Amino acid sequence: MGLLILLIPLVTALLCWVFNDRKILHGINVLGSLFLLGNALWITARVQSEGVLTYPLFDHFFYLDCLNALILDTTLLVGFVTCFYSIGYLDHEYGTPQDLRKIKLFYSLTYTFIFTMVLTATTQNLGLMWIAIEATTLASVFLVGFSGTKHSIEAAWKYIIICSVGIALALLGIMFLYFSSSQALTGSRLSLNWLTLYENAGKLQGNVLKMAFIFILVGFGTKAGLVPMHTWLPDAHSEAPSPISALLSGVLLNNAMYGIIRFLSIVNKNMGSSVYTGRLLIFGGLLSIGAAALFILAQKDYKRLLAYSSVEHMGIIALSLGLYTPVSLFASLFHMVNHSFTKSMLFLTAGNVMLKYKTKEIASVTGLLKTMPLSGSAFLLGILAIAGLPPFSIFSSELNIILAAFKSGHFLTGTVFVFLLALAFGSITYALLKMFYGKEPENRMPAGEVHVYGVLSICVLLLFITCTGIYLPPFLKGLLDSASRIITGV
Amino acid sequence: MNTVLYILIQLGVFVLLAPLVNGVIKKVKAFSQKRKGPPLAQLYYDLSKLLKKDCVISDTASWVFTAAPYIFLVTTLLAALFVPVTVFLQPFSFQGDIILAIYILALGRFFMTLAGLDTGSTFGGMGSSREMMIASLMEPALLVAVLTLGLHSGSTSVFAIMHKGMEGVPYLFHPANILLFAAILIILLAETARIPVDDPATHLELTMVHEAMLLEYSGRHLALIELAASVKQLFFITVLANLFLPLEVFIHTDIHTIALILGLGLYFLKVMALTLLVALVELYTVKLRFFSVPNLAAASFALAFLGFIQYFVVGR
Amino acid sequence: METCLDFLSLLILVSSFVLVSSKRISSYITAFKMQSLVLAVAAGLLGIHNLFVEGLPDVLILCVFIVILKVVYIPRLLRTTYQKVEYRVEKDFFLNIPISILICAGLVLLTYFCLYNLEGILSGHLRFYFMNSLSVVLIGLFFMITRKKAIGQIVGFLVLENGMFTMALLSYGMPFIIDLGILVDLLTAVMIMGMLVFRINETFESIDINRLRKLRG
Repeated sequence: MGLLILLIPLVTALLCWVFNDRKILHGINVLGSLFLLGNALWITARVQSEGVLTYPLFDHFFYLDCLNALILDTTLLVGFVTCFYSIGYLDHEYGTPQDLRKIKLFYSLTYTFIFTMVLTATTQNLGLMWIAIEATTLASVFLVGFSGTKHSIEAAWKYIIICSVGIALALLGIMFLYFSSSQALTGSRLSLNWLTLYENAGKLQGNVLKMAFIFILVGFGTKAGLVPMHTWLPDAHSEAPSPISALLSGVLLNNAMYGIIRFLSIVNKNMGSSVYTGRLLIFGGLLSIGAAALFILAQKDYKRLLAYSSVEHMGIIALSLGLYTPVSLFASLFHMVNHSFTKSMLFLTAGNVMLKYKTKEIASVTGLLKTMPLSGSAFLLGILAIAGLPPFSIFSSELNIILAAFKSGHFLTGTVFVFLLALAFGSITYALLKMFYGKEPENRMPAGEVHVYGVLSICVLLLFITCTGIYLPPFLKGLLDSASRIITGV
Repeated sequence: MNTVLYILIQLGVFVLLAPLVNGVIKKVKAFSQKRKGPPLAQLYYDLSKLLKKDCVISDTASWVFTAAPYIFLVTTLLAALFVPVTVFLQPFSFQGDIILAIYILALGRFFMTLAGLDTGSTFGGMGSSREMMIASLMEPALLVAVLTLGLHSGSTSVFAIMHKGMEGVPYLFHPANILLFAAILIILLAETARIPVDDPATHLELTMVHEAMLLEYSGRHLALIELAASVKQLFFITVLANLFLPLEVFIHTDIHTIALILGLGLYFLKVMALTLLVALVELYTVKLRFFSVPNLAAASFALAFLGFIQYFVVGR
Repeated sequence: METCLDFLSLLILVSSFVLVSSKRISSYITAFKMQSLVLAVAAGLLGIHNLFVEGLPDVLILCVFIVILKVVYIPRLLRTTYQKVEYRVEKDFFLNIPISILICAGLVLLTYFCLYNLEGILSGHLRFYFMNSLSVVLIGLFFMITRKKAIGQIVGFLVLENGMFTMALLSYGMPFIIDLGILVDLLTAVMIMGMLVFRINETFESIDINRLRKLRG
């Protein structure tokens, strides 16, 4: 039953090529993502009650514990909302009958992409996880270059080259990890399964493991968008179609971070303390936040600005992973969830704006609150949320990280972090607030939303981030708690 | 007594064998083009003919012009003395003699370059400057290769390196040695003015490097220079043969004279094999554009450098 | 056997130097093909050894896959792409060849110093293999940076993966299925990159990477 989660996206992707009617395609799309979501919730319920869900097939490659389940849930929830949104988006952007082939291509590629992300989140074999992460790059390249313009082809090329090189370096790290384990374990216990490696982490060789961690950080950090390997991110996320941007930004970055987290737990258990990894992660995190905050000031394209904000938030997650206290780990996982929902909401809203105004430049968009009251206010609230304003959930996770930093003695880190957050807040609001007020643009476009799917999806996400910001429901709290305990092994 | 015998045998072998090497290369190239080619002893006939002829010397030439051929021949033969033809001869060797040999060759080359400039002809000057550039590019590679060999065997004297080679197969197939062999092969092609660096059979002065310096020479001077050039070629081939293919390890006899004769025979076979190799390389490559020669030099340096690093990693 | 593997891994490193000193795209593809061939020979040797000593045919199957994919199919794919897309012969690199070769020699030195610190763990031969493979990885990366044409970047990436494969093969290796998965991934990646090169040529009228500079800041 749990293995269905791997089959459904593949089947959906294949089914998309069979049918020729637009409405049927949209229907398959929604049904597929609904089934996936249902499956994920079932799996989460099982994992919360039993602790671990695994099948002995192929040496237990399918393995779900609370950490996995969290990532899986986030992926599939955002996936569901995005797929729902893309119905309206595709009908508007590719509305002519000749574009039917494009819609089929879009859906099948999206579901292949979702399959690879689900595979990343449900396997414990680190080699298979690597293959899945590389496959996410390959599956999403043509989605990034979907519109076929010069800019998007350039973005797609940069994306595939930089991410492939980065992930190849991560492979080097996995090879070093395997090598260090091959000296310690022998014979049949030699494997790349995370559980085996984690249990025997104390016996692995420290020096080789240190080198492996650096390669993994650089490699998966490329995919996660840490500075200075982030250069593909603004291009790819801004040139992709809006639902794909939401998936890339909200979900894919999380999966890459998840890869880093699995290694982090092994390395920290081996070294006994988190000083080495902590220094690297804190440095990478602060660098990402600072660079992103500065770049945001210079942006002229609002989707690119949102992409840089993703870089900033990945930096925040890396920072709190580096602090490695129970509070900071809880906060980092919570932040991953919050960022997914907020960022995907923002990208979907930006998609609405783009469909109406037909441009991505900030300067051309004015009077948003008057033209599109619902999307406009959702966008405004989303921007305030991503910048870290209460009562939204990002504020609570950031607050927890700051508290964790000061409590664990990293005073300098905490101060710099607060300063950089303030800088980012100022940059985002300064850059974007002029879009909402002011006169409507000259070419009088009819006021109102472009498509109803857009409004529904962003309202659901907005509701979620507001609610979790005010009150964290106990099941979510329990899930986050157990997940953070898995990382430290306590 | 031993030293005198050694010098006689060494010089005799070098002077007598060198023109034969040239003949073999020309014959192989001719066969590949389905020609008969000049007889194997052609260079001997050429040398004896040239020695009988008059020298025609330009008015503007100085003493360097007349002295250069003698200096070139003497330095080449002196350098050849440091590389024994067989390990059973007792040479006079000392630490660093291979480096001395290389720089004695450089001295000879220096005087040839001056002689090329001496007559004031344009082609001479051009050949001299090109020769100097190629030599200076090839020098780092040669030194790195030689020093690695010295490190490997614990001493930079050729005899000691050859003795180390007598240890047999583990030394032969050490990865460093294969790389150094390739590096020194490229240097051989450059120093002896063979394709791909310089075409020895060309008659177009603009493409000449080594030949351009010799354009003004005639008579016995030309004979001396030709002999010296072929001895220099045999010097490099001997370096390759004796330092990298010490097959004398297969000779197990106690009687010194028989060992010596067998050693000389083996040396002859090795030289012929390497001559064949050089001829094949000449056949299958093309002459490089002059400004692409730094690429070749960099490749040779890279090979020598890799050999050096491999020696450090794999150990003694 | 050990000396053979020593020599083959060294040959892989030398072939990456040959790659750096090539001037034309067709010579890059040939150099990559030769390197993959040497890798396949090494895999074959190890496979036969494994088959007779431990009775596992997995490395031999891997060798067959390497031959089919890396020696035959991928170079052919690259060559067809190159022929359809590139018709101008122009200077392809930012740095001239002697300096590139010197920098690559420097990268080998860097690898040596980095691995020197792991001395206690890696025995002599293993350190040798690691050093060669890691140098090939760095040289592939360097090659990607210094080439102006898109196909040069693809070949650099392939050489990088070759280096990783050498390391996986000659050290304790990776589980067999993972190796196969990596190969299939690599094949898909190259196919997708090839398709993208076509699109780049259509949209930009050339595959010069310098033209892809519209997204900045």
